[in-house]
Amino acid sequence: MVRMVGKKKSLIRLGSILLITALMASGCGSSPSPTKTEEKPVKVGIIDTYTGGAAVYASDSLDGFKLAVKESADKGGPKIEFVTRDDEFKPDKSTSWAKELVMREQVDFLAGTTNSAGSLAVSQYAKESKVPFIVWGGMSDKITGEAGHRYVFSTLPNTAIIGKAGASQLSKTSYQKVWLAGSDYEYGHSVINNLWSNLTTLKPGVEKMGETWWRVGETDFTPYINAIRSAKPDVLVVGTGGADMVAFMKAVKATGLNQEIPVWAHTSYDPATLRPLGDQAPEGVLGTNPYLFNYPDTAENKAFVDAFKKEYNREPAAFALYGYMGGKFLGEAIKKAGSTDKEKIIDAMEGLTIDTPVGKATLRKEDHQVAIPMSYGVVAKVNGIFTGNDLHTLNSEEIMPSIDAILKARSK
Amino acid sequence: MDFATLASQFFIGLSRGMIFFIVSAGLTLIFGVLRITNFAHGALYMIGAFIAYSVSTLFGQGPYGFWLALLVAPLVVMFVSLVIERGLLRFIYNRDHLIQMLLTYSLVLIAGDLVKIIWGTEYKSMDIPNVLRGSFNLWGASLPWYNAFLLIVGPVVALGLWLFLSKTHLGKICRATATDREMVDVLGINSTRVFATVFALGGWLAGLGGALIAPTTTISMGMDASIIIYAFLIVVIGGLGNIWGALISSIIMGVGEAFGILFIPGVAIIIPYIIAGVLLILRPSGLLKSAW
Repeated sequence: MVRMVGKKKSLIRLGSILLITALMASGCGSSPSPTKTEEKPVKVGIIDTYTGGAAVYASDSLDGFKLAVKESADKGGPKIEFVTRDDEFKPDKSTSWAKELVMREQVDFLAGTTNSAGSLAVSQYAKESKVPFIVWGGMSDKITGEAGHRYVFSTLPNTAIIGKAGASQLSKTSYQKVWLAGSDYEYGHSVINNLWSNLTTLKPGVEKMGETWWRVGETDFTPYINAIRSAKPDVLVVGTGGADMVAFMKAVKATGLNQEIPVWAHTSYDPATLRPLGDQAPEGVLGTNPYLFNYPDTAENKAFVDAFKKEYNREPAAFALYGYMGGKFLGEAIKKAGSTDKEKIIDAMEGLTIDTPVGKATLRKEDHQVAIPMSYGVVAKVNGIFTGNDLHTLNSEEIMPSIDAILKARSK
Repeated sequence: MDFATLASQFFIGLSRGMIFFIVSAGLTLIFGVLRITNFAHGALYMIGAFIAYSVSTLFGQGPYGFWLALLVAPLVVMFVSLVIERGLLRFIYNRDHLIQMLLTYSLVLIAGDLVKIIWGTEYKSMDIPNVLRGSFNLWGASLPWYNAFLLIVGPVVALGLWLFLSKTHLGKICRATATDREMVDVLGINSTRVFATVFALGGWLAGLGGALIAPTTTISMGMDASIIIYAFLIVVIGGLGNIWGALISSIIMGVGEAFGILFIPGVAIIIPYIIAGVLLILRPSGLLKSAW
């Protein structure tokens, strides 16, 4: 009897040892021993478009991010590690990479996605898996607007901000009859819708003459421009991006449209648009722009440009700033939180204000959207070089969408 | 809508059709003779545009750069095509269509990466030569000189193709192969040379199309995907393998799209598919006799 009890006891002991071992083993996977926590760097999984037509943005934002990470480490700040994945501009790939990064690479943060649809898809996964996602590529206003949530942040101006800035610029002109045009996809429609709804509020007399939508990747803009020209609007407002923007500007020059009808387009005087155009840039095209390496002309911006140039041997473009801000917000938030716990970092990021090359930038508490100023101006030839001229700054308060409107859209 | 607008829109559409024709003529020729669905045709067009850019940049975007690019780029693409045909395609002529499609599709991916490695990701642009810059007045509306130039190049290429196909021995064999391949084999004609020539010629046309579009647009990765859809639509509408069918459907597509953009600008994106749909309902096997 005694022996039997002994056997039973040893069985129970064996069982409990096994159980404890199993618990410890499973526990180790999710939370490493406390002594290691201080050393453990935050790991960011970057999903972006490194091949195809949009690859230029992803390489810029990645370099900007790398610079921020390096600066943070040099100053003895938090250590940030990263891995990259190419989504080939395909939203389904963005999500599968996001899952792979979270499950296999065990990243703490996700970031990237030039493709807006990809940003929205990854954002949905971030919400489900509670892994925070920093968007520095996708410009859709839905990301931090109606589809926003606790686990998504945006460190670039979205289409709502671009549209509002454009409307603000156009409201200062005398143009009444407006023709709207753009690339027939999310970005194009979103910029134009936001611009038009803001313009009708700012300037009630404006009249929409018509709309033209071309496919993404259009190579020949002559028929579109000829058709719009025949309608004789006061101003042509265009929402198009990337390679299409360069091709469109080239066609504006070739057809001489800029001498007949004023044209507005976001990033019209951005180096990414003007550099490929060479001496074929259309003068007089109006536009807005979030960042130029020579504007704002401040010491902070100069320091950033010099550091970026030293590292990558070229001037930083707008997306370099977005990636840089993404890295810098993350680094500052880890410092502020004093922890690598994701939830604590999110809390620290909400409403965080940092110094950036364009001045103070804040990640708004309510919608996690970065607020930075935007410039507006016109394409002109200055000292033989095409550049932005007659530049003015719109404060971030002037161009951010109202929080009420965002909360209303989210409650739907 | 005044007459000047309609007329200028018509000519702009026609010049758009000329690019379509030059690219799709090569595709349909390869279709007809080699019986291969060449997905890589768009990639050859893209390579043509990039080489044109490089050649013209080499001459500092100067006045001769463009003309030299127009000459060199198609020849380089022709050579690339020859390498593809001799090195890869000739091994799969007797295989399934699926295998052929997989091979040509893999070439699309390889070409995309090669272009990225060689030219980088930044957008490229080359200048329109001075003599073709600006626009001229056409009954009160303006037409860019470059479009007028395309209106000359298109018919010249069509004429050249007609002369090759109907006046030369090799051209006649090409036509015979497209119409009845078995009969040509039975007659003991060496099809190897015919196949290589046709694929190289198709590549030359794709390269020419790329070099011609290059000064008017952004030279970027992804331009292959945008042309190949048009080229396939045009080849199918025109009748598979029929060059003159491709010419007619290119013009219909170019002019139809231009007028669509004028009258229903809000939904311009679907016009090519409406045109293709209507024409295929009216003539399911293509406008002209299909080689298949």
